Amino acid sequence: MRIVIGEGSCGIAAGAKKLHSALSQLGAEVGITGCIGMCYLEPIIDLYEGQDLKARLVRVQDKDAQRIVDAAKSGDLSGVEDLRISCDDESFLSKQTRIALRHCGIIDPESIDSYRAADGYKAIAKVRESMTPEEVIEEIKISGLAGRGGAGFPTWFKWNAARNSKGDEKYLICNADEGDPGAFMDRAVIESDPHSLLEGMLIAAYAIGAKRAFVYVRAEYPLAIIRLEKAIADATAAGIMGDCEIRIKAGAGAFVCGEETALIESLEGNRGMPRLKPPFPAEKGYIQKPSNINNVETFANVAWINLNGGKAFAAMGTENSKGTKVFALTGKIRRGGLVEIPMGLTLRDVIFDIGGGIRDGKKFKAVQMGGPSGGCIPESLLDTRIDYKELSATGAIMGSGGMVVMDDSTCMVNMARFFLDFTAKESCGKCVHCRIGTKRLHETLVRITEGKGKEGDVELLEELCRGIKDGALCGLGQTAPNPVLTTIRYFRDEYDAHIRQQQCPAKECAALRRFTIDPVKCRGCTMCARNCPVGAITGTVKNPHVIDQTKCIKCGACKATCKFGAIND
Amino acid sequence: MIKLTIDGVAVEVEEGTTVLAAAEKAGIEIPNLCFMKELSPYGACGICVVEVEKCPKLLRACATKATDGMVVTTNGERAIRARKLAMELLMGDHDGDCLGPCKLNCPAHTDCQKYVKEISEGRFADAVATIKETFPLPAAIGRVCPHPCEKHCRRGLVESPISIAHLKYFAADKVRADGNEHPIPVSSPTGKKVGIVGGGPAGLSAAFKLAQYGHAVTVYDQMPEMGGMLRYGIPEYRLPKSILKCETDAIAALGVKFVNNFKIGRDAQLEDLRGQFDALVVANGAWKSTPMRVKGEDLQGVWGGIDFLRAVVTGQSVEIGNRVAIVGGGNTAMDACRTAVRCGAKEVYVVYRRTRKEMPAEDIEIAEAEEEGVVFKFLCTPDEILGRDGHVVGAKLQVMELGEPDERGRRKPVPVPGKFDTIELDTVIIAVGQRNDPEGFELMPKTEKGTIAADPKNFETSLPGVFACGDTVNRGAGIAIAAIAQANEAALAVNAFLAGGHYEPVEPVVSERNLTADNFKDESRIPRVKMSQRSAEERRRDFKEVNLGLTAETAMAEAKRCLKCGCHDYADCKLIRYANLLRTDTQRLRGDFHTGYVETDLVAIERNQRKCITCNQCVRVCEQIAKKGLLGLVGRGFKTVIKPEFNDPSAIAGCRDCHLCVDNCPTGALRLLDK
Repeated sequence: MRIVIGEGSCGIAAGAKKLHSALSQLGAEVGITGCIGMCYLEPIIDLYEGQDLKARLVRVQDKDAQRIVDAAKSGDLSGVEDLRISCDDESFLSKQTRIALRHCGIIDPESIDSYRAADGYKAIAKVRESMTPEEVIEEIKISGLAGRGGAGFPTWFKWNAARNSKGDEKYLICNADEGDPGAFMDRAVIESDPHSLLEGMLIAAYAIGAKRAFVYVRAEYPLAIIRLEKAIADATAAGIMGDCEIRIKAGAGAFVCGEETALIESLEGNRGMPRLKPPFPAEKGYIQKPSNINNVETFANVAWINLNGGKAFAAMGTENSKGTKVFALTGKIRRGGLVEIPMGLTLRDVIFDIGGGIRDGKKFKAVQMGGPSGGCIPESLLDTRIDYKELSATGAIMGSGGMVVMDDSTCMVNMARFFLDFTAKESCGKCVHCRIGTKRLHETLVRITEGKGKEGDVELLEELCRGIKDGALCGLGQTAPNPVLTTIRYFRDEYDAHIRQQQCPAKECAALRRFTIDPVKCRGCTMCARNCPVGAITGTVKNPHVIDQTKCIKCGACKATCKFGAIND
Repeated sequence: MIKLTIDGVAVEVEEGTTVLAAAEKAGIEIPNLCFMKELSPYGACGICVVEVEKCPKLLRACATKATDGMVVTTNGERAIRARKLAMELLMGDHDGDCLGPCKLNCPAHTDCQKYVKEISEGRFADAVATIKETFPLPAAIGRVCPHPCEKHCRRGLVESPISIAHLKYFAADKVRADGNEHPIPVSSPTGKKVGIVGGGPAGLSAAFKLAQYGHAVTVYDQMPEMGGMLRYGIPEYRLPKSILKCETDAIAALGVKFVNNFKIGRDAQLEDLRGQFDALVVANGAWKSTPMRVKGEDLQGVWGGIDFLRAVVTGQSVEIGNRVAIVGGGNTAMDACRTAVRCGAKEVYVVYRRTRKEMPAEDIEIAEAEEEGVVFKFLCTPDEILGRDGHVVGAKLQVMELGEPDERGRRKPVPVPGKFDTIELDTVIIAVGQRNDPEGFELMPKTEKGTIAADPKNFETSLPGVFACGDTVNRGAGIAIAAIAQANEAALAVNAFLAGGHYEPVEPVVSERNLTADNFKDESRIPRVKMSQRSAEERRRDFKEVNLGLTAETAMAEAKRCLKCGCHDYADCKLIRYANLLRTDTQRLRGDFHTGYVETDLVAIERNQRKCITCNQCVRVCEQIAKKGLLGLVGRGFKTVIKPEFNDPSAIAGCRDCHLCVDNCPTGALRLLDK
């Protein structure tokens, strides 16, 4: 049997490279693949008989190498039975429909042959041979594909605008500057299936009439860059690129460069700051020439649509949102990873059926959609469908696919503070509302989480939020208030508890916690005193201990070590 | 051509014109801070936002092209809200002083920083002209003013404030001696006549301003000479009459008519004057001593403080004997006790019911009185003035102690039951306050205090065409410069009234820094100039001026200590103009703000990050017009600052001092250095 090891960043982080060399040292032939999406089970080894997957082994350790090699050689799986994926975990894939991720975790991302064997580059061949650019755009129009980067703008419309824009020098740009904390959809696609991105781009370049294209990918994705470089070299060598040249531009990691006009500025070598729109990039983009920008996931769908027809894509999803969407499921979820589901499933389907619900038996509280630009959705709205319109109605957004799940130990005010800390720091500094406004939002949130909030702070936050949404220049600023507005909308009581009672209901805000020792329960075992990093606990053996509140740094070490549940907070 | 509507005005413009330019064509101003015709639109400030019909978003007028049939509203509620917020955000991060604390805290907002600078450069006549932009009596006020300017002078946070008052009268004396005062600008005659009742600081200042506005002014005063309390309340040793005379003469030289020995109610009725003039200003002061209401107050040898001072000035025979007690702790009490010393009294006491700490008099006055031998009796108050044969022989003093603080924070004196002290006296001078005399002004509505009621902003009274200011109105007696401040406002109101209009002043919005001594810990210490004085032994024998004045050298050196707090760009600052236009609360959205970075060493341009609003105008003019590109944005988020490109100081080496950046900075963040 063939041994294939998952070597996406998630697999490598879990030890796939070491495992790979351990297997190689034992003389085994080892193939690689990308990320299957079940990042929480990495390292994952798949055993294939020809094209048939015979066994999926999960959370494999180096010490398991010998018996895996043995099993692969003999075909007898009894020796690795304990490593095989459980039925429960297999259900992770059950409700998924994989289009953008169709090859991820299956093909070898570093092999063009592997991609071709999976119908790769058939779509571009078909397009070039038998379709006019207009027909290509029409097919995309039929598919209903919308920009997967977050805004959800119809893809065909942008292509069409770029195609119809005056000028014979046109540019195509792939936005792979995935900057949302907790999002890794695009990285996984490039690492696991770089050729499908290239093929999608080549089709788009054909449709709009671009001869040059860029992939703007953040430098923090080194593996993605290496695999994409190899894919471009291989495709060029194989003569697939035709008259289109695709280059990689590594971005320095500014969140705002995910905004299309800031990305273009950065691509031109300028400071990444958004431009005024209009003119839109389709009219004046890269070096003032007509340009089209789509994100990775959007391009990853294109070849499939051309091979299977726009109608097949449009058959999936809802009235307003067609096809599938990839989400990066993270946070306090049992099964975190990458999922692709047809539009129209509910949040509950994704979080509970696919993700397996909340870890450690805790209670679901909210899910943050769309990262710092998005909003949180509370339990009462879990039956909201994955649909651009329906998600927007909650105050959150579809976003690019970040889905951070929070349990009841998460303080929603602190969560908003976290995201505002991020956006305030990532603001490019150009416009007043964003540069100073997000800073003031953050300062106010910090004040509240430190127990220094005052009556009127929530109203001040709301006023600032409305003003920033209205006045900010680009998407970063216009959406930065969303985490604040949605947490106020759904968790106003938590704000009030911080401000009026100086309490953090989730007990997350350190400044508002107060640890005390119950003298009845305390047996004087001295464990807490010995574990207190600042020596704030005093007492003698077999006598109740006391915490000096002036010294306590509220780390919770005492509570964690007390065997008698004597520490209250 | 494109036709659109802006605020209901139909405009026709060429294709490609922005909404901002179209509005300008229609005569509608859309505020903006980062727009410049010669540069590509930038859209950072968010001040020029407008509403466009059928467009859900606010649009930036600087970058939005006018289209046919567009309906634009520039001053809708939503746009104004966004603009106000942008301004509040900007001002919350703008750490600069529009005006020096000296000017800001002078009741009349005299431009101290400007004339101090002029003095530092030896331009004394310019300095006097600067002072006279505010009021006509620099030599007098420089001598008597308790100078709130100095109390707030930032130099006080370093070691001690600039000697602003001394500099003021130095310049006035010098220019008078040199005879090189600039002529006072006067507008052409309006043909309107204004009568002023009272020739004190308020009346004279109003006369001066109104004469400058071109009106024919007549000042009536009950006393033989002009000057009011400056002449009849301030002793000669502080303000020589000859100097005051020069300054009042200069007012007369503008064409102001002085009528002395003229008392309303005696020589004419108020209504008579109303009939003779187009407008009247009542500034008759507060010339009655406040009685104490103690037994024996009607004895011979008991004086009111200002009555005593006036008697000495007018040369009445003042028999005060050897032992004199002055009751009170204010400046009038100090003037009275020191005058008593000069009149030959052997023992002079000041009886004050609190302690020295609570005395409202100036510290220097108290110190000088002590030097001249005055004895202070604190924590006691007359219970009874003792007399024999109708004349004072002593006083029974109730001993006091300090109790709870009052509403102003001063601890209230309360009697210690049964504890008394007795002193033998020949004269008692009661200097516990003064009030206005309502006689002759019965027609004018009064406040609860008995003062004339006037609008505290424009000093209109309920009698049309009659304005009132100074010690006679509202809160009553105060310091001279406060009366002058009121007179200036009243003069503006009279001027507007005479033109058929109405004056309603609006408190200007200004940016103010909040600093402590810590901000100046690296500032080098330069001691304040010491005013040379005649010795106490010598001066207590006569009424000659105590202070000997500054020399030109010491004055210039003193003036050079000025920290120049006020912004060089205040007059042209777009930021503060809009802050006023939009009535911006500069403190509401204050939080963390940019501190510290003031670059002066690279080129002859000061770049002050504390004032910078990051509009990027300097960066863009340098790149797009000067074609240099020496500046750039550095850092991210709130920490974004403008620095030499890529934060490389050598990047600015190509600067050729075209100062396009300085010229186009919308606020005072950039300044050409005098190198």
